[in-house]
Amino acid sequence: MEKTKTYIEDIERTLYDIKNEDRSVYKSQSGLTEDVVRDISKQKNDPQWMLEHRLKSLEVYNSLSLPAWGPDLSELNMDNIVTYVKPDAKLSGSWDEVPEDIKNTFDRLGIPEAEQTSLAGVGAQYDSEVVYHSIQESLVKQGVIYTDMETALSEYEDIVKEYFMKLVPPKDHKFAALHGAVWSGGSFVYVPEGVKVDIPLQSYFRLNAAGAGQFEHTLIIVEKNASLHFIEGCSAPKYNVTNLHAGCVELFVKEGARLRYSTIENWSRNMMNLNTKRAIVEKDGIIEWVSGSFGSHISMLYPCSILHGENARCEFTGVTFASKGQELDTGASIIHAAPHTSANVSTRTISKAGGKATYRSAVKVTRNAPFAKCSVNCESLMLDDISRSDTLPAMDIEGDEADIGHEATIGRISDEAIFYLMCRGISEDEARAMIVRGFVEPIAKELPLEYAVEMNNLVNIELEGTIG
Amino acid sequence: MAEKIFSEIPMRTWHWLGVNEAGIEENVLLNPVKKTLEVPANSENDLTVVYKEDNYGDISIKVGENSCLKLTQVQLLPVEKDHANEVTVILAKGAHLEMAVVEAGAKKTVSKVKVVLEGNNSKADVSVLYFGDEKRHIDLNYVMEQKGRNTEANLNVYGALMDECRKVCRGTLDFQRGSKGSKGYEKEQVTVLSGKVRNSSIPIMLSGEDDVDGHHAVSIGKIDEEKMFYLMSRGLDLKESRRLIVEAAFNPVLDKIASEELRDEIDSYIKGRLGKNE
Repeated sequence: MEKTKTYIEDIERTLYDIKNEDRSVYKSQSGLTEDVVRDISKQKNDPQWMLEHRLKSLEVYNSLSLPAWGPDLSELNMDNIVTYVKPDAKLSGSWDEVPEDIKNTFDRLGIPEAEQTSLAGVGAQYDSEVVYHSIQESLVKQGVIYTDMETALSEYEDIVKEYFMKLVPPKDHKFAALHGAVWSGGSFVYVPEGVKVDIPLQSYFRLNAAGAGQFEHTLIIVEKNASLHFIEGCSAPKYNVTNLHAGCVELFVKEGARLRYSTIENWSRNMMNLNTKRAIVEKDGIIEWVSGSFGSHISMLYPCSILHGENARCEFTGVTFASKGQELDTGASIIHAAPHTSANVSTRTISKAGGKATYRSAVKVTRNAPFAKCSVNCESLMLDDISRSDTLPAMDIEGDEADIGHEATIGRISDEAIFYLMCRGISEDEARAMIVRGFVEPIAKELPLEYAVEMNNLVNIELEGTIG
Repeated sequence: MAEKIFSEIPMRTWHWLGVNEAGIEENVLLNPVKKTLEVPANSENDLTVVYKEDNYGDISIKVGENSCLKLTQVQLLPVEKDHANEVTVILAKGAHLEMAVVEAGAKKTVSKVKVVLEGNNSKADVSVLYFGDEKRHIDLNYVMEQKGRNTEANLNVYGALMDECRKVCRGTLDFQRGSKGSKGYEKEQVTVLSGKVRNSSIPIMLSGEDDVDGHHAVSIGKIDEEKMFYLMSRGLDLKESRRLIVEAAFNPVLDKIASEELRDEIDSYIKGRLGKNE
């Protein structure tokens, strides 16, 4: 039987690639020195403890080396990265006050429109600063706080001080330290006890300046029995120089609370995406991650869930699509630290046109976590023989009461499946399309509608006959 | 004396997991017992290696075209000794490896097995049994490199752990570019019998080829309570029931060992440990 190949269209990127002129009012010097860090801190009117935190982080950064595993990061030269770019815009609560070019960018990305129709609050960050933030009045009345990190730092300093980089300490790894030193922007969400936020909040991060870094910090605290759905979107136009994203997300899910954290990451192909995300879940709490990685040149992203209280749960759903010139090293880590905790990890990776997709995970069950249950399922689809797909899960289990399962498959679209569908009167093209759609369906159904549409476009199938 | 790195996984991961490499005291590696073997084309060969005393064994085998090798390696060292073993098998076109491995003795054992499926249509079936109790340390690293077209690799690992045993099992299926039409299957099934065991499993699958079919699965859990209930309700005591269930899990590997004498020896070795008082 002659073998045919399926060709999957690349992501339509025109929309993301529209660049604005760099009209920043302030840029730090490129590189990373104590002066740069002090300068950023001064620009941002940090309290003294934050300046100290930044300087301490810088020290840690200088003392740590690059990870000895994962993608090669040698092309990243911090001397060429501008760590702080302040756009010519003040934080505003109305899109009318946002400068025209910046507003147009977010318009094209559909943010103000989504705000009208399906979101309870929106934050928009442009380069290093948040330019727009809004939240529905009804939520404010219930005590929900949704604002940019800078405002949070001045208005809710005590809360920020209590939680900031406590879950991801700067010494965690080199890029956490870098983040601690030069962080800027990001969102702060506080949901008080018992408040259910039914409509999602969304923050969108856009990096416009070439050769710059974005280091936003997202801090979310969901108090007892409260619930929240938070959506994060990221994109940038393509430049010929390396851009860096080293954000940090810290999520605190308290007793009986529920947090869903959805991300669609669509960075341009010159971006190094070295992001750190971590959640700590208390008794009966639930963290749900939905993570789509489509963009960037190199990604290292492994959201971590620490199941700290009895019965805490984690659901992780992820999809990664690595195409030409991309090396996407993604996955998840789960730490079971209390009895009866459970986790379910389900991921799909697709690689094509020389792209390299790696699924990497860690499941750790400590001695304090009897009756932990964890099930990991990862499937990889390869669309040609010049790409790579690697799966590297690790499990470290202590005690005798855990129930752990892991399953992974790798392969191409099977001829039998095509044959089966064609026997039922479906054309070959459609059969292939159905199979790929079916492959990502478990993930697509977890995504907010507009993102599901975006992903379906991405998996826009075109049959190209035999190649290779 | 210092520890020396004995084996590494083909692709590194987080340092904090402590699974990237396996080390052993340098003096264990001082006097290797080396064995090389070439199986000529179109022939069959059996090789059985039983380690009872040796610290370090190193076996290297080439299997010729359309030949078959049955390799049995059993490690039953006394519990106060450390042990290291390594096996490399290269399979030519149409060659077939049937390998049964038993890791049941020694205080600390490190083992590395590499099977290179170089020729088209070569096939490897590797079945492994390990048993760990007390404060023993078992560290395994199996790599199946699939290079030829239409190769098939099966790695089945069965293990039981009790007391304060520490075990690391790394199994890699590596579909290299050009291994079109190849299949790989890897499974590890771990039964944990008592509370202070530490168990690490790292099933790795690497692929530079799309026209392959790879699957790996790991399951880690305690002994099936329903089976225990069934046996105990028929008058068997707890230890006896447990022993029966564990032995049944090992049978797929033990069945592959041709020598009845050796099978009995392994059986009574494990039985003795399973039956001891806790």
